[in-house]
Amino acid sequence: MLPMLLAIGIAVFLGIRTDQFLGSENIFNLIAQAMPLIITAIGQMFVVLVGGLDLSVGSLISFTTAILALDAPGYVTIPAVFLFAALIGISNGLVITRLNVHPIIATLAMQYVILGITRILRPVSGGTVPDIVIDSIAGSFLGIPMPVFWGLLVILVAWKLLHGSRFGLHLFAIGGGVANSTPDAARNFGVADKRNILLAYVACSCFAALAGVFLAGRIVSGDPNVGLLFELDAITAVAVGGTQLSGGIGSLQGTVIGALVLALLSNGMNLTNVSPFIQTAIKGGLLLLVVGLQTRKKIGL
Amino acid sequence: MACLVEMSKVSKSFGGSKAVDGVSLRLMPGAVHALMGENGAGKSTLMKILAGVHQPDAGDLFRDGQKVSFETPREALEAGISTVFQELSLLANLTIAENMFLGREPVTRFGTVDRKRIRRETRKALAVLGLELNPDTLVSELSIAERQFVEIAHGIKADASVFILDEPTAALNAADVEIMNAQIRRLRAEGKAVVYISHRMDEIFGICDTVTVLKDGKLIATRHLSGMTPDSLIAMMVGRELQDLFPPRGQSSSEAVLALEDFRIDPGSKPLSLHVNKGEIVALAGLEGQGQQQLLRSLAGMYHLSTGTASITGKALPLPAPKAAGIRQLQARKVGFVPEDRKEEGLFLGLSIVDNIAIGLSSVHAELSIAHDYQQKIAETISSMNIKASGASSPVGALSGGNQQKVLLGRYLVAGLDMLLIEEPTRGVDIGAKTEIYKLLRRFANNGGAVLVLSRETIELIGLCDRIYVVHGKTIVAELPAKTATEHQILNAALSA
Repeated sequence: MLPMLLAIGIAVFLGIRTDQFLGSENIFNLIAQAMPLIITAIGQMFVVLVGGLDLSVGSLISFTTAILALDAPGYVTIPAVFLFAALIGISNGLVITRLNVHPIIATLAMQYVILGITRILRPVSGGTVPDIVIDSIAGSFLGIPMPVFWGLLVILVAWKLLHGSRFGLHLFAIGGGVANSTPDAARNFGVADKRNILLAYVACSCFAALAGVFLAGRIVSGDPNVGLLFELDAITAVAVGGTQLSGGIGSLQGTVIGALVLALLSNGMNLTNVSPFIQTAIKGGLLLLVVGLQTRKKIGL
Repeated sequence: MACLVEMSKVSKSFGGSKAVDGVSLRLMPGAVHALMGENGAGKSTLMKILAGVHQPDAGDLFRDGQKVSFETPREALEAGISTVFQELSLLANLTIAENMFLGREPVTRFGTVDRKRIRRETRKALAVLGLELNPDTLVSELSIAERQFVEIAHGIKADASVFILDEPTAALNAADVEIMNAQIRRLRAEGKAVVYISHRMDEIFGICDTVTVLKDGKLIATRHLSGMTPDSLIAMMVGRELQDLFPPRGQSSSEAVLALEDFRIDPGSKPLSLHVNKGEIVALAGLEGQGQQQLLRSLAGMYHLSTGTASITGKALPLPAPKAAGIRQLQARKVGFVPEDRKEEGLFLGLSIVDNIAIGLSSVHAELSIAHDYQQKIAETISSMNIKASGASSPVGALSGGNQQKVLLGRYLVAGLDMLLIEEPTRGVDIGAKTEIYKLLRRFANNGGAVLVLSRETIELIGLCDRIYVVHGKTIVAELPAKTATEHQILNAALSA
């Protein structure tokens, strides 16, 4: 509820303070700007729900744009992107559930691995991405810009996974046990906890790859730095959206609103000419504030 | 009549100690079976084996005459064995309905969880118990009693025929106890078998048909309750040989070191007063979890609901003690607190014996003062306490349990304190080390120290101490001289309170 009011508050403030904000061009621009963060944050929420974290999503987004900008046809690179994402998710999940590595360390290591490979593939930004990717983002359908449809589709898929399937319920159950220091509770109910945690990391990586595809379509090239610090934005969005970082409590609409708050904040700060460096600092402060105000802070696993 | 469940010569060890040793048990339909025994007699372990939480080292389980084995609680539930443990196992962040169906949710043809159906069936299962709870209520919003009823409903829904209730009434108020007992009678009337673990005599005699008594993990007997009295039941639970382990008692003075007046463990509990004199070892005895530990820990600032006045050698100790500085506050008054769990709360397992003892000497000095070299003093302590290790610098984690406990105790003995508050001085320690620890504590008392100790082992308290306070229901219900006290007396005082 609070993030919703915050979002409306920022929107009203910007509508009054600036002329450009309420123009339809800026609104659609805002949606397109917010979309990669919304997609990444939704993915991040899957792992936060089971008491984990995924810091490798930022690198994975850059990696995805680098793959798409390779000199290869789209019908090869697009499936390849999701295949790699799934492999990265599986590897994160295996390291965390089987080797008992703390998720922050496991995904931090993965972040560096992917970053290195991305810089080998594409040391500086460049290349061109397949036309189908560009068209699916820049075009419009029935007069409505494509990013709106992306948003609807992503939310629909995520809702199905989180709130409309056994998988989602099991994620909540596992996270609830972790947050209450009874990590075996869900297993005692017959929930396959390790497999579900692994699948949560796979989902997180795949959503991040989708965000990468979207970003590649917007910048029309591959960029090794485009995903920089995205993981922190995503975690901040999840936390602002009311998901408990120790796991078990959270909602899809909260995360979407959390991402919107962050996007509005950037959009507003851009419109009011706040330096990007200060913006980064403000976002960091916001994350500290939100997590500091949460009653349970322990990060699970 | 054929029994629903039979456990045959079941054994289970943890580390070196046998928690359950060759116990057999038969559960009949339409009967409430009480399981009794002193603290640590193996009741909970036995039931956890039946519930699939632990796997037995030896022995067999039979369900309706068929040999079975349960790897997980889920398998036990599927075989119709439902358990309500003291520590609740529901997930607080899910709704009642979600908890009921977790792990085998029905799905619609679109693959979504069939919420209509789980809501409907949950309401039905709750209605069997006469409960009108909304299935969409989050478990975190339920009272403890309601959570227990939900767990029972969980078993009913799974069509269980055996219900294990591990101290279901321990956390309930009188009205809820009545409801719980009515539910148990209903289960019996429907031909289910109920295992009932409780320390409340009136409940045992009120609702149970048969009783099995365990002691030290061994089966003592299974009897019909109709032929028993509370007295004869207690007699079955106690009666261990008093081993010749304990040093002779000393001379205590009448000078009080610790005195509590009008002390309440919880705001709602009855006030108590207590004193420990110089040269005296005083025990807090009673059944497990009756408030002994809260009493001790509230002095150390680890439990915060207590009120009243406390004084140490005449000087007042503010209550509740501050959380962060409670131990230091005690230390400044020359009182040491020895926690129960030496591995988790007491020792630094990775550090050497020297370091573990030195911290007791160093911690009284200011944070930035120069660390002294206590080698000489520590070497004396190690030899006088007879700590067996390959060297003073070997890590404490590598020592045996008894030697670890001695190192922990040594940290406090070497610091020149006036009083020790000790939880479980000999937990998981072999007989030889026990005797040595008793001697060390007696020597500390004879040199003018005072000791307040709690233990699950009543026999140890009788042998070691000078006076015994019996704690029950978060207050002191009796004070006995240890010289003439018996286990029977103590158990009786606790249970008749």
